[in-house]
Amino acid sequence: METAIRTENLSKTYGTTRALVSLNLEVPRGEVLGYLGPNGAGKTTTIRLLLGLVRATVGRAEIFGIDAQANPVEAHRRVAYVPGEANLWPQLTGWETLYLLGRIQGRVDTAYRDLLIERFDFDPTKKVRSYSKGNRQKLILIAGLMSRADLLLLDEPTSGLDPLMERAFRECVQEARERGQTVFLSSHILSEVEALCDRVAILRAGHLIEVGTLAEMRHLSALHVEAELDGTVPDLSNVPGLSAVEVEGNRLRCEVTGPIEPLLATLASTGVRHLVSREPSLEELFLAHYGADGRGEAGDDAA
Amino acid sequence: MRHSERYDERGAARAVAVTTARRVGRQGLLWGLLFGGTIAASATSYSGLVPTAAARERLALSFEGNTAWAALFGPLRRLDTVAGYTAYKSGMFVIILAAIWGLFAATRSLRGEEDAGRWEILCAGHTTRGRAAAQAAVGLGAGFALLWAATALLSVSAGASSKVGIGIGAALFFATALCSAAAMFMAIGMFVGQLAASRRDANLIGAGVLAGSYLVRMAADSDPGLAWLRWASPIGWIEELRPLTGSKPLAFIPVVALVVMLVALSVWIAARRDVGAGAFAIGETPKPRTRLLGSQAGLTLRLTRPTVVAWTAALVATGLVFGLVAQAAGSALRGIRGIERAIQRLGGSGSGAASYLGFVFVIAAGLMAIAVAGQIASIRNEEASGHLDHLFVRPVERWRWLTVRLGVGLGLVALAGLLAGVAAWVGAASQHADVGLGELVKAGLNVVPPAVFVLGIGGLVFGILPRASIGVVYGIVVWSFLVEVVAAVFDSNHWLRDTSPLLHVAPVPAAEPNVQAAVWLIVLGLAAAAAGIWSFERRDLVGA
Repeated sequence: METAIRTENLSKTYGTTRALVSLNLEVPRGEVLGYLGPNGAGKTTTIRLLLGLVRATVGRAEIFGIDAQANPVEAHRRVAYVPGEANLWPQLTGWETLYLLGRIQGRVDTAYRDLLIERFDFDPTKKVRSYSKGNRQKLILIAGLMSRADLLLLDEPTSGLDPLMERAFRECVQEARERGQTVFLSSHILSEVEALCDRVAILRAGHLIEVGTLAEMRHLSALHVEAELDGTVPDLSNVPGLSAVEVEGNRLRCEVTGPIEPLLATLASTGVRHLVSREPSLEELFLAHYGADGRGEAGDDAA
Repeated sequence: MRHSERYDERGAARAVAVTTARRVGRQGLLWGLLFGGTIAASATSYSGLVPTAAARERLALSFEGNTAWAALFGPLRRLDTVAGYTAYKSGMFVIILAAIWGLFAATRSLRGEEDAGRWEILCAGHTTRGRAAAQAAVGLGAGFALLWAATALLSVSAGASSKVGIGIGAALFFATALCSAAAMFMAIGMFVGQLAASRRDANLIGAGVLAGSYLVRMAADSDPGLAWLRWASPIGWIEELRPLTGSKPLAFIPVVALVVMLVALSVWIAARRDVGAGAFAIGETPKPRTRLLGSQAGLTLRLTRPTVVAWTAALVATGLVFGLVAQAAGSALRGIRGIERAIQRLGGSGSGAASYLGFVFVIAAGLMAIAVAGQIASIRNEEASGHLDHLFVRPVERWRWLTVRLGVGLGLVALAGLLAGVAAWVGAASQHADVGLGELVKAGLNVVPPAVFVLGIGGLVFGILPRASIGVVYGIVVWSFLVEVVAAVFDSNHWLRDTSPLLHVAPVPAAEPNVQAAVWLIVLGLAAAAAGIWSFERRDLVGA
């Protein structure tokens, strides 16, 4: 299968700050990849490198096999980008902006553009300077999506949108996936990533620390268990893989990494009245990687 | 750490005043030095330009009572004295620049901050809308104080020179009178910023007020029967102060009243209206105009059109004014050895209208350089604001964009130069001056090469060190101006003069163009621009 994005040791250093360190990543065509990391982890830097807006200190970035650093213009013919902050020309109207960006991109699905305007409940007749933040974000989303580009690079695209509009955005990403478009979604909204993405990549302080499907990640992570027993909780010190154990009378709360059978066998000796086990949410996976405060070990402010 | 957690209320309330004062103060100081320098240069050059009593008398006789001249520069009085000459030479020039600076400083500090969304953050903190506006007024006041101090200091020191001999009181009164234009237009800027829906609209309305105020006094000065009209114009009030030519401090009453009233009104409105809203919203839902929006080049034309038109109009008006007064000025200057020497120093010869035009077209070169610096600033602002990201994430080549953008600058100077020459000819011909169209077109085009050079250097710095580009390009303009002032005072200092691109211009039509210098300026400018484009293609896009 064709590869939409491929990076090789892609690195960017600003002065003494290492914003991105040796990123090796492949995104096959048609995949929706969630790109996660706390502020300053290097997400925006990655996207700006993929777009050729900033020069790589070392390494290579390819978009559909095209060297995005050496030949950005050719790569851009197949890309649409939606930034999290829409700094558009304040003196143009919404229509004028859509017309301009469509003409410069070189392709627009006009029927789809009109559908997007309706779906996002957007009034394109006003000047950009009179739009609210949310409306500017809608405008830049429509401008990005209307080209039906092969690769969508979305950098926190729903910032400032209300829940209804966020739902409309999710529909658009689902449609893009169905049409075979590739989506690279950098986001802080973990429920959005969980709902939309085939795979997730997690970045910390410029380093890629985890890539995989959610199922793979969950498999490697702890299972959350809550149990209510007939009697007092037995001694669990010999049960392997237990952590975060909380005992309150005959109630037990804990996390289990690896097989759950040893725990079940130990609890069965006392008698189990009620037991719930649950896989970790993306949020829990994310927090597990960053600690409870959500920050990396050496988070910087490069991006 | 309880102490550090306590909220510093007074500090928070002062923050707006302090930030405004810091930004406006720096500019005020610079402009004050420029104004003071202009006044000092006018005063000190008088004895060299018109050394004898006979020449001074001739100067006074030819200009005083010349209606065309009075319409442009205000009533001319006592030109046979250094004070009268200084008032004429630097008066209107400083008044207009001070008014423009005051207007833009105020709209930027209030409406500009509001447009950028920073005002909201301030008003959400420990202050209110009205108090924040009052604090901004205090900050603007501090900026004005620095402008006044620098202007006054240089005026008083120039006045103290034995060649000049203007008393401290008169010099202070003169500096105060000229700077009051800045104070009034700061107040006007504050006020229109409350009415308009954006900084741009506020600037437009303010510029309209300034133009109207200039035109009203123009009518008043061109017909003695209309002299009362001067009281209807803020610039007219400054004329009524008669600084250096018989001070009349009573005219400060309307000046102070206007400032106090508009500042109070602005604070009152600011406290009562919604943040981000204006009393008049100008066309927020216009019909879409997509004619030029089919390409990045078209977008560049659309975005730069208002500035290009405004600068071209300004240079055409300047050329026309030069032409209109050339005949009168030429005959008045005839035989004044100091002026003739100044023209010779620039490489020209002769006297009369052609000689005068050669002398003043150097001013057009300065205006052209300012226009070009503005182009470089707007190129950098396109990048800093993040607008360029939207182009360069699409199939747009960077080199093509910058080439078009610098090309607009080049086109602007070529067009404005050509039209300024034609306009000067129209003006001169209407007064039956003996200067041909060809000569004046040559004079107009003659001031283009230095602007091309400044544009090229600006393009180069933008390509390599984008954040420094605006400072460098305005630095070149200010430096050129200072060198010109210094060169005028100390006669000739060749190595210093050579560092100013503006002083490589021959005084056409009083002399033949210096083709060699012009070619060098153009070649160096284009080479620098090409290097800048090459470098821009290879560097990171850099935000604000």
